[in-house]
Amino acid sequence: MATGTERQGTDGTAAFGGVSRLRGVVFQYVTFAASLFGILSLAVLLGYVFWDAFGLETAESAWYATMVVTVVLPVAGFLLYARRNPLAGRTALELAATATGGVLSGFALVVVLEVIAGSGLWFAYFLAVGVPLGALYLYGRRVEASWTGLAVLGVLVAGPVAGTVLLGPLSRIGGVLGGPGVYYLSVIAPTALVARHVVDGYLDGPNGNYVALATLVVPILAVPAVDTVAVLSRSVWLLFFPTLVVPFSIVAGRNLAAPGRRVGVVGPLAFALGVGLLAVVPDLLGITGPSPWFDWQYVTSAPSQTAEQAGLYPAIIGSIFMIVLVALLTLVLGVGAALYLEEYAPSSGPAGAVTQLIRINISNLAGVPSVVYGILGLAVFANTLQFGFGTVITAAFTLSLLILPIVIISAREAIRSVPDSLREASYGMGATRWQTIKNVIMPRAIPGILTGTILALGRAIGETAPLIMIGVATTKFSPPSGLFGKMTAMPMQVFTWSSYPSEAFQHGVVAAGVVTLLIVLLTMNSVAILLRNEFERGDY
Amino acid sequence: MSNESAPIDLRGDRGFQDLRERIYQVAFLACAVISVLATVGIVLSLAVPAVGFFQNVSLGEFLLGTQFSPAIRPKVFGVLPLVFGTLVITAGAAAVALPFGLLTATYLAEYASAGRRAVLKPMLEVLAGVPTVVYGYFALVYVTPLLNAIPGLELGTFNALSASIIMGVMIIPMVSSISEDAMSAVPDSLREASYGLGATKFDVSTGVVIPSAASGIASSFVLALSRAIGETMIVVVAAGQTARFPGSVPELLTSFFKSTQTMTSAIIQLGLSDLSGGTTAYRALFAIGLTLFVMTLVLNVISDLLVQHYQEDYD
Repeated sequence: MATGTERQGTDGTAAFGGVSRLRGVVFQYVTFAASLFGILSLAVLLGYVFWDAFGLETAESAWYATMVVTVVLPVAGFLLYARRNPLAGRTALELAATATGGVLSGFALVVVLEVIAGSGLWFAYFLAVGVPLGALYLYGRRVEASWTGLAVLGVLVAGPVAGTVLLGPLSRIGGVLGGPGVYYLSVIAPTALVARHVVDGYLDGPNGNYVALATLVVPILAVPAVDTVAVLSRSVWLLFFPTLVVPFSIVAGRNLAAPGRRVGVVGPLAFALGVGLLAVVPDLLGITGPSPWFDWQYVTSAPSQTAEQAGLYPAIIGSIFMIVLVALLTLVLGVGAALYLEEYAPSSGPAGAVTQLIRINISNLAGVPSVVYGILGLAVFANTLQFGFGTVITAAFTLSLLILPIVIISAREAIRSVPDSLREASYGMGATRWQTIKNVIMPRAIPGILTGTILALGRAIGETAPLIMIGVATTKFSPPSGLFGKMTAMPMQVFTWSSYPSEAFQHGVVAAGVVTLLIVLLTMNSVAILLRNEFERGDY
Repeated sequence: MSNESAPIDLRGDRGFQDLRERIYQVAFLACAVISVLATVGIVLSLAVPAVGFFQNVSLGEFLLGTQFSPAIRPKVFGVLPLVFGTLVITAGAAAVALPFGLLTATYLAEYASAGRRAVLKPMLEVLAGVPTVVYGYFALVYVTPLLNAIPGLELGTFNALSASIIMGVMIIPMVSSISEDAMSAVPDSLREASYGLGATKFDVSTGVVIPSAASGIASSFVLALSRAIGETMIVVVAAGQTARFPGSVPELLTSFFKSTQTMTSAIIQLGLSDLSGGTTAYRALFAIGLTLFVMTLVLNVISDLLVQHYQEDYD
C-alpha cells in the first residue's frame, strides 16, 4: 500500500507529462468507443434483420462470391474514390435519394389517386379546388392584386363544398376523359408549372420554359414505349412521371453539366448494374440464391396465417394514405402557428405573456408520451367527434397533433434563420406584413420547413402506441375504403406479427415488415437531409 | 402600364388591405391556438374519465395499492406495481444511456474533428429515428436470445433486461445532443485559462467543461428519464405484461430477468382488451394515463428549468 502510493508519487513528479498523457489518450479512446457503441449495436441488429428478411441463410457461398464481385467491390471502390472526391460522393447520394424518393412518392400518388380516390373523384375535387387555385396563382403573379390571397382562402373553404355538391356531374367529366386524360390535366400540367418555377427560382441551370415544355411533351411521346410494358399502365406512368422522372432528370442533368460532379454518376449506375447482374447471373450458373421474405409477393398481398402467403399490402396503403393526410394537416397548421409566433406575436405586455405561454406549451407538448396522444385521440376524435374507432381520419388527426409541436419548432427555426435585414428592406419598401411573409420570408424558409416536416413525418409513420389506443385493427385484409374507412398501418402489422410464436413469423415475416418500414424511413430521411444540404448553403 | 398601376395599388384600397392583413393574422393565430387546445384536450380527456374511476376506487387504494389485476377477480387497481415496473425499465435504460450519452457528448464536444462530427452526429440521429416497435422486435427476437447465451443468465421470453438495454441505446442520442450543446456553450476563455495553468486536455474536459456544463447535462439526463418513462412499444413487445411488486430485496434484483408491466404497457393492454368503455377497468386506463402524464410533465419542466439555468450562465 505504502509502496504503491510512493511509486505513484515519484512517477508523477518525474514524468509529469507522460502519465497524464496516457490517461488522456485512454480517456479519448473511451469516449470515442462510447460514441460508436450505439451506432454499432444498431448496425449489428440491422444486419440480423436484413439477414432474416432476405433469407440469406439458404444462399450458397458461390452466390456470396457473385455478390462480392458484382455489388460489393464496385460500391466499395466507388466509396473509396468518393473519400478523395467528395463532390462525386454527393452526386451519387443526390441521384440515389432522388430515385428512391421518386419511387416512393410515386407509389404514394398512385395509392391515393388511383387505389383510394379513383380518377373520377379526384378530378371532381381538382376542378373545384385545384383549378381555381391555379388560376388565382397565375393571375396573382401577373397582376399585384390585393384580393387574390383572400380569394385563395375562399376557394379552400368553398371548393371542397362545391366539389361535394357537384360530385356527380364533375366526376362524369373525369369519366369522359378517362384515367390518363385526367392525370395529364391534373398532375402533369401543374407539374410543368411547378418545375418551371423551381428551375427558374432556385436552380441556376437550364431555362425553366424548356423544362416545362419537356414535362408536357415527353409523357405523351413515351406512351408507345410504355404500352409495351405490361405492368405499367398509362395512368401509373403519368403519376410516376412527375415524382420520379422529372426530379431525377433535373438532378441528373445538373450533375452531368458540372464537370467536377460528372464522375459521381458512376456510383449509382454501378450499383444498379451490379444488382441487375446479381439477379441474373446466379440463375444462369445454377447457383442457389437466398430465399427472401421481402419480395414483390410480400408487398402486394394481404396478411395471412400462413407465413409464406403473408403480405403487407393493406398496411402499406393504410400508412401511405394516413401519412399524406398528416402531411397536409401539419404543414398548414405548423407553418401557420410558426408564422404567428415568429412574425406576429407580441413579445411584451399581457399579450406577450400569452405568446410566452403558447411557446412553453408547445415545447412541453413535444415531451408528452405518444401513448397519451393515443388516449387524446380516443377521447376526442373517436368518441366525442364520432370519427370512428380505427378509421383513417381519426389516425391522421391523432398523429398530426402528435407531431405538430415538432413541426412548429422546426418551422420556427427555419423562419428565424431568415435575416432581419431582408424583412426590414421589405417593410422599408412599403410592403405589408403578409406581403413580406409571402415574397421574402416563405421562399427562403420553405426548404428548412420541408426538412423539419419530413423528419417529423418519419416519426409519425413509425408510431404504433397511439394507433393501438384509437382502436386501429391489428390485422386487416383490405386497404381502407376512404377517409372514414377502417385501416391498419405498417408498424401496427409488425406489432401484431411479432406476437406470433412461430419461427417463420418471428424471423421471416416480421423481419420483412421491419425492412419495409426502415426502407421507407431511410428514404424520407435522406430526402430531408438532401433538401437541407441543397438549399441551406448560406447565401446570406 | 405597370409603372402607372403600381403607385395606385400601393395607395388604393387601404381599408381592404388592412382587412386582409387582419384576416391572415387571425388565421395564423388560430393555428397557434390549436396547440393550446391540444393541451386542454389532453388534460380533459384524461381527467374526466379518471374522475369517474376515482368514484369507484379511492385515491389511496390506487396510489398505494401493491396489486394490479384489472381482469381477474378480485379486481384491484393498485398503481404501485406498474410504477415499480416503469422504474425498473427506466433504471436499466438510464444505466446504458447516461454514461454512453455523456461520453459521446464529451467526445463530440471536446475531441472529435469536424469531419468525424459530421459523420457521427447524423448516425446518432438515426438511432433516435428508428420506430420503437422495431426496437421492441429487436429486443424480443435478437437481444434476449443473445443475453441467454451468457452462462448463468436465465431470462424469460419476455424480460425487463433486454427491453431496457435497447431502450437505453435508443435514448443515447437524446442525452448526447443536449449535453453536447451544453458543453459547446462553455466559453473558450474557461478552457484557455485552464490550459494556461498547465492543465491537460483530460483535466480540462473532466475538470472544467463537464462541471461547467453540469446543469445542461443534468437537463439531458432528466429528459432521457422522462422519455424512458413514457416509452411504450419496446416494453409492450419485449417486456411482457406481468405486473409485479417486490416483497423482498432478492425479488427486486431478479425483477430484471422476468416479465414486467409498466404504466404504458398497462394502458396498451387495457386499450387492446376493452374499448367499449364504461367499466372500471376501462377507466383505470385514464387514471394510469393521468399519472404518466403528470410524471413526464414534471420531469420535462425540471429539464426546461435546468436548460434555462445554463443558458443564463453563459449568454
